[in-house]
Amino acid sequence: MGLLKLLRKLKSESNKELRILLLGLDNAGKTTILKKLASEDINHITPTQGFNIKSVQSQGFKLNVWDIGGQRRIRPYWRNYFENTDVLIYVVDSTDKKRLEETGVELEELVTDEKLSGVPLLVFANKQDLLQAAPASDIADGLSLHTLSGRTYQIQACSALKGEGIQDGLEWVMKTVSKKKK
Amino acid sequence: MIGQMGNCFPWKNKRKSLSLLMLGLDNAGKTTAVKCVQGDTLDVAPTVGFSEANAKFGDYDLRIMDVGGGRSIRGVWKHYLAEAHGIIFVVDASDKDRTEEGKEALANVLEHQFVAGKPILLLANKQDVSGAMNEADICDALDLQTVVNRNRCPCKVELCAAIKSKPKKIDPSLQQGLGWLVRNISSNFESITSRMEEDMRKQDEERKKEAEERAERVRIKRE
Ligand SMILES: Nc1nc2c(ncn2[C@@H]2O[C@H](COP(=O)(O)OP(=O)(O)OP(=O)(O)O)[C@@H](O)[C@H]2O)c(=O)[nH]1
Ligand SMILES: Nc1nc2c(ncn2[C@@H]2O[C@H](COP(=O)(O)OP(=O)(O)OP(=O)(O)O)[C@@H](O)[C@H]2O)c(=O)[nH]1
Ligand SMILES: [Mg+2]
Ligand SMILES: [Mg+2]
Repeated sequence: MGLLKLLRKLKSESNKELRILLLGLDNAGKTTILKKLASEDINHITPTQGFNIKSVQSQGFKLNVWDIGGQRRIRPYWRNYFENTDVLIYVVDSTDKKRLEETGVELEELVTDEKLSGVPLLVFANKQDLLQAAPASDIADGLSLHTLSGRTYQIQACSALKGEGIQDGLEWVMKTVSKKKK
Repeated sequence: MIGQMGNCFPWKNKRKSLSLLMLGLDNAGKTTAVKCVQGDTLDVAPTVGFSEANAKFGDYDLRIMDVGGGRSIRGVWKHYLAEAHGIIFVVDASDKDRTEEGKEALANVLEHQFVAGKPILLLANKQDVSGAMNEADICDALDLQTVVNRNRCPCKVELCAAIKSKPKKIDPSLQQGLGWLVRNISSNFESITSRMEEDMRKQDEERKKEAEERAERVRIKRE
């Protein structure tokens, strides 16, 4: 293989690495989703104090998924992770109706940050296995999605606990980024 | 040399950008139609959100906005109306059971202050399915004439099958419909564009106010 060809190959392979950021309020289920994506045990998960990172292979892409703690005192540090993000995954606890507006305000801050401008957004409406979970329509209303105007996004109902909807969300991510990276 | 000549007349090369918005019930074929215009054949999944595509059409750069049509997401349509030059409303012509729901959705859109008066291309999609409604059936079922006249929207109906088109080849009636829409917008370009700017300014103001109120409510709740 000639040097140029080799360099090109290396470059195209490095292009196939994606940085995915998992954010959302505390208790939303981010770490559970991360572990589910990596096919790991989801028992004994405790609130995240800093961050977790895992690499997952999907359709020839290497996904580096960053899961950052969502407690209020940690949220100011979210911005340290924004740089070079390919996809933002925002996780919402669909049963936490009291904090739906709060999670909307946090999301609004994220999407108005310049470093995340144009980054596609997947919203996981998590914990759909619970009876009191709000349907995706309420989530759409509560999140005041108009702040997203012009941004590519998708709302995906899911249950990290049961593993339902996670794969569909990932499919959307892959479809969306492969369109952009072409 | 011809290329250089072109540069002497820059206004001749000035391409106009048009924003089009795809609307219609879930499963109508909006996303499929967008892929068709792009010459793409990627398989589709229901849209529960928003995405946009860019395509060239003659001298125009099109920005085609695609939103989900399911009940759970239909509420976000209103956020995209102000920034559209024209609307493409897609109907599943093979689904006679949902015409009432479609009629209501269409009327809601056309009556919106940010839409009334703008051109509407109505795609009666899925003509490849036997027994699909024809133009007269559709106009009747949606009470199209009434709603279009009431809101002074120029309107054209095209029968198409977004899915049938070969890769890299856009369905001829979809192409025709798009041509009509683009020409219609183009002939009123200045007035539609300045109206959009005004509408978007209004919308921005309202959004800012809402955001401030929301932030205040959350602040109070946290304490
Ligand atoms: N019923 C149900 N519980 C879930 C689901 N996903 C997560 N949980 C539970 O929600 C709690 C919080 O989950 P975590 O994954 O730790 O949440 P997190 O978003 O990482 O929280 P922080 O690290 O504090 O930001 C745990 O008790 C999980 O078992 C779900 O789909 N259904
Ligand atoms: N037979 C036939 N099927 C079609 C045609 N166009 C789209 N479909 C199918 O109809 C289904 C829905 O198409 P979509 O493009 O996802 O519909 P949509 O309007 O974007 O739906 P939402 O995103 O849920 O709002 C898919 O299975 C398509 O393959 C067509 O012309 N003929
Ligand atoms: Mg965690
Ligand atoms: Mg769609």
